[in-house]
Parts: sequence; C-alpha cells; structure tokens
Amino acid sequence: MTKRPFLGWFVTPAGLIAIGIAASFLAILQYSLRAHVPGMLDPGGFTFDNFTTLLKPAYGKAFITTVLLCFWTALFTLLIGYPLAFAMLRTRSGWVRGAMLIITLTPLFLGEVVRTYSWIIVLGNQGFLNSALLGLGLIDEPISFMFTTMGVVIALVHFTLPIVVIMLAAAIAHIDRKLEQAAFSLGAGRVRVFLTVTLPLSVPGIVAASSTAFAWTFSAFATPQMIGGGQVVTISTLVYQVGFASFNFPLAASLSLAGLLFTIAVLSIFNLGMRRIERQGAY
Amino acid sequence: MLIDPKLQQPAEAVPGQPPARPAVKIDGVSKSFDGTLALEPTWLKIRKGEFLTLLGPSGCGKTTLLNLVAGFLEPDKGELFIDDALVTQVPVHKREIGIVFQNYALFPHMNVLKNVEYGLRTRGVPAAEARDRAMETLRLVKLDQFADRRPKQLSGGQQQRVALARALVIRPKVLLLDEPFSALDRNLRAAMQIELKEIQHSLGVTTIFVTHDQGEALSMSDRIAVMSKGRVRQIGSPEEIYASPADRFVGTFVGDANLLTGTVTTSESGTLTLDLAGTALTLPQSAAPEAAAGETVELFARPEACQLVAPGTPGAVPATVSFAVYQGAHVELHLACPAAAEGPIMLRVPVANVPKVGAAVAVALPEAPVIFTGEAQ
Ligand SMILES: Nc1ncnc2c1ncn2[C@@H]1O[C@H](COP(=O)(O)OP(=O)(O)OP(=O)(O)O)[C@@H](O)[C@H]1O
Ligand SMILES: [Mg+2]
Repeated sequence: MTKRPFLGWFVTPAGLIAIGIAASFLAILQYSLRAHVPGMLDPGGFTFDNFTTLLKPAYGKAFITTVLLCFWTALFTLLIGYPLAFAMLRTRSGWVRGAMLIITLTPLFLGEVVRTYSWIIVLGNQGFLNSALLGLGLIDEPISFMFTTMGVVIALVHFTLPIVVIMLAAAIAHIDRKLEQAAFSLGAGRVRVFLTVTLPLSVPGIVAASSTAFAWTFSAFATPQMIGGGQVVTISTLVYQVGFASFNFPLAASLSLAGLLFTIAVLSIFNLGMRRIERQGAY
Repeated sequence: MLIDPKLQQPAEAVPGQPPARPAVKIDGVSKSFDGTLALEPTWLKIRKGEFLTLLGPSGCGKTTLLNLVAGFLEPDKGELFIDDALVTQVPVHKREIGIVFQNYALFPHMNVLKNVEYGLRTRGVPAAEARDRAMETLRLVKLDQFADRRPKQLSGGQQQRVALARALVIRPKVLLLDEPFSALDRNLRAAMQIELKEIQHSLGVTTIFVTHDQGEALSMSDRIAVMSKGRVRQIGSPEEIYASPADRFVGTFVGDANLLTGTVTTSESGTLTLDLAGTALTLPQSAAPEAAAGETVELFARPEACQLVAPGTPGAVPATVSFAVYQGAHVELHLACPAAAEGPIMLRVPVANVPKVGAAVAVALPEAPVIFTGEAQ
C-alpha cells in the first residue's frame, strides 16, 4: 500500500470527537452502576439498584408517553410532510418551489427553544389559535393545548417537519417519472398512479424519514419541557428532573442508557424492515 | 414547403374494399418549447394495422411527435384523431394506447405478472380474467415461466418483452414504441426486431415506432416517415424511401449515397442532358421535369446502382481509386471524382476484381438516377 500522509490529518478531528463521545458514554455507564448518596454529588459504590428502580411504574409510564409522543409526531409529520415534499418537487413554478422550500427549512435555523416559545404564544389559552377559533365562533371556550400531549405533539411536528420533508423529497425525486407515465398510459388516473406507483416507490424514503422522526422526537427536550410543563413527562424531561432537580446522577445515567438502548432497538427494527423490502428487489 | 401534398394523402385503399379509415390522424399538429419549434405543422395518416416508423437524427422531433400522440404533450396547434375520435383534449389514460419505453419502465415493486395485469386492473377487468389474459400475453412473448419474477431479475431483452406484453395486453388502439431496442446489444436487437414484427403482424395492431437506426426502419416498417429538424421530409414504403428519396437529406440519411454535381445543358423534347464536370450525360426528361437549362442539380445514385467500367466508356464519369476497404464478402472502393458533390464516390466490388490505388477508372451511373433540383439539394 502506498502511504497517504494526509489521510491521517483528515480523520483526526473525527477520531478525537469519537474518543470524546466514547469517553462520555463510559462515564454515563459507570455512573449508572453506582449508588446514589442523597445530598452528595459524588456517587457511592457499585450497584444494579438504578436499573431495578427503572422498573417502577412511574418510569414505565414516561417510556410509554415518550413512545406515544414519537408515534403521533412521526405519523402527523409524515401526513403533513409527504404532500408538502410531493408538491414542492412537482410544482411547475420555480417561485412556488422556492417559497415552499424556504418556509419548510427556516425553522431548522431557529433553535428548539425559540420555536417552542413561539408555539407557547400560539397555543396558550389566550394564544393566537384559541383567539382565532373563539373569534370565528368555532369553539365556546378555549381548548387547552398547553400542558397536554396534543400541544406537545403539535410543536414536535413542527420541530420534526423540515428534516422529514428533506428526506421525503430526496426519496420522491428518485422515482423515475417514466414509471408514472407508463401507469398513465395503461389507463390509471392520477389518484391511482399515485396510490399504485408513486406511494409504494416512496416506501424506502417513508421508512427512513419515520425512523429519523422517531429518533429526533425521542431526544427532544425543550418542547416537552416547556409546552408539557411537567404534565407530559418524557424520558428526556425525566432525565433532567432526576439529574438536575434531585441531583440523582446515577439514576439519570441509567435512565439515559435505557433510552439510548431503546432508540437503538427501534432503529434496528426499522432497519430490518428496510432490508426485507430491499431484498424483495423492489427498489 | 417541401412536403409533397400527394405524400399526405390517406393511406391507399385496398383494391375492392372501401377506403380504410385511418387509425391515427395527425392533422396539422405542431409543438414548440420555449419559443423554439420542435415540430412543424405535421399531417400524417396511419392505416389500421400499419407499422409506421418515425426515422430521423437525434433532436429531429420524433419523441415529441410520439408524445403528442400519446398525450404526454399537448399540441400548440392542430388536432389528433384516434379511430376517428378527436382526442386532442383526451388525457393519456383515456386514450387506449400502449407505450413501450426505451428504458422499459417496468414497475419495480411488482412482479412480471402484476406488471402485465396492471392495465387490465385499471380497466376493472376481474382478477381471474386479468390473470388469464396476462398469462396469455406473456406466452406470446415467451415469458410465461417468468411470471413470478421481479423485473430486476430479468435480462434487458426479457424486460423489454415484458414491457411489450404490458402494452399489448390492453389491446391498445395504437402501440407506440420510442427507441425500444436501443439499450440492447446487436444480436439481441435483431432477434427482438423480428419478434416484434411477428407479434405486431399477428395481432394486427397499429404501431408507431421511433428509431434513429435506418436499418431497423427499413427492415421493420410498412411505411417510414423520415424526419429532420422538426419536419417530416418524406413518407413512403421502405422501398420508396430507399430507391426514390425525395431530397438529399433523405437520400443520405437512409443507406449509402453517391452525390454528383451537374449543370443542365438542355432540357427539351423528352431529353435532359447534364454536364458532370466535363462528362456529358443524357437522361429522360422525366428524371427532373422542372430543371431548366443552366441550372445546377445533384445526381443521386446508390453504390449498388453504379458500376465500375473501363476508363473512356461513353457516359461514364472518370475517377481515381483513393483507397479500398476490405469487408469480407466484398471490397468498398472509394473513388476521387471531380464531379462528386461531397466526399468520395463509393462502390462495392467483388474481392477478385479490385483495381490498384491510384488507378484511373470510370463509373457508369444508373440509367434512371434520382435528380435533386432546387430546395431538395
Ligand atoms: N421538454 C422539452 N423542453 C424543451 N425542449 C424540448 C423538450 N423536449 C424536446 N425538446 C426539444 O425539441 C427538439 C426535439 O426533441 P425530441 O425529443 O422530439 O427529439 P428526438 O427526435 O426524439 O431525438 P432523440 O433521437 O435524441 O431522442 C429538440 O431540439 C429538443 O431539445
Ligand atoms: Mg427521442
């Protein structure tokens, strides 16, 4: 092999970061296996207690809440994101495409906190949405969005949408238009072409986008914290509460690890499903 | 305008029967993209069961014309009729056409059978009947044993046959094929050409076939429409196109051609005399009735219609052998000739009878060569 002197330089930064991440994971791992000494920031001796604590119903409930939140968010993001991505790609007007792209992507450049704060303004009892609905006479009293799962999902959908639209647009752009033309020529109308050709061929993109949406939502913190206001308890908000309100670092560490393992498991399932689809030779 | 009105007459009637109505009528259809004319106003009538080829170089508007018939494009002007029904405004999926694409465009997420069934299911044919008809069509293209395969698991030729079956199973009013074989290698291509021609003939389906391969056009078509720069230059049977090209473009695009420049010396009382760089040639006046004395014309002759003769033979054009190309069965002789309009003159001679390079020879021209005058040059 010839020596490639610069290659080392190229991978060094990534290598250093990888070492840093690995080290922090090890730190979390060792914290999770240490006893919590109340009133002390330093952990005690070796124990499995933290993981047995996680089996308590309160923690199980946080898991279920988080998974449901992820599920609804992924579902609604897909339902909104797919037509958006489709329209963005298929519009003939470059002006419309540009506008849609900007509206979809700008949220990506605002932090999660800024975005969540604007949702508080929109979703509050005297917020924009309730005022509008009341003004139109559609409702008699304000709907409570704040401190509810629905409110958190609405804000999380907005938070997740840009990344999902980007992934779906890439997948849809990949579909050969000739296939749709062939379906048209065989007598299929627009709806049928979409349902039998375009949509099935977008499945890889949909799977990739939903797994990303899932992981993206699972790790969201500011949104459930600020809009859920303690009423919607997710893994991330719980880690924060346990670690930085009760200063029980060992339990927070074990909770983080459990969340991480869970995410890995879910993504592996998505991945397996994807491989099965690919093995059928369809894509 | 170059298009001879007689070329746009309805396809000739079968003797003893009422004139057949055209399966496809293209009535003054034109199309431009962003202000550039891709297809000039075009009139074409295609008989029921006819195999019509659109032949022309890249960018001449073949695909544009085909997409107009298919309905993927809307004409700027003109009307389209399929089986006497006006379809200009009819969307693609209601036109009852079958299309075979260059890159097959098989649905990758369906197996071969599902692909072929597709057009029947969209028409509401019950599942069992759709299956039977799809299998029957797959048998026609000899692929029934591959019904369960995915398109990716088939070779290029097999995929193209599935595409053909998928287009034929709906019994389309017109079958449209856009360079369907250009992705196949030469041997497979030849086999597919024969197979398509056989199937087309046995089903009697009206077919419009697009190619830029003149060999393919000559061997498969009932009629060929030769196109160039968005315009149909000539429509005729392969024999007509080959033997009596309407203009220089058609003559040189289809087959090998020798072109000689000449000046009309006299054109009267049934005789036309030409001066070909010093050689006097006498022809029947019917070869170029409009040519007037003093006019420059082009004389067109296929290599096989020219003969190598001894220098000095009256009426033969003197030439010098510039080089010879061995081709196995014969030798291609390239001759420098003062009368040649462009490039050398080419002749094919038996291997046993090859003059030396540099030898002075003479070329006897056919008795009734094609003469291009005016715009046809
Ligand atoms: N969608 C389009 N937008 C703009 N110009 C186009 C479009 N489609 C075709 N053209 C132009 O119209 C002309 C004819 O194109 P067309 O595709 O019909 O050629 P073709 O004869 O099929 O060529 P080829 O053998 O390369 O497929 C070309 O000059 C092409 O650039
Ligand atoms: Mg083309």
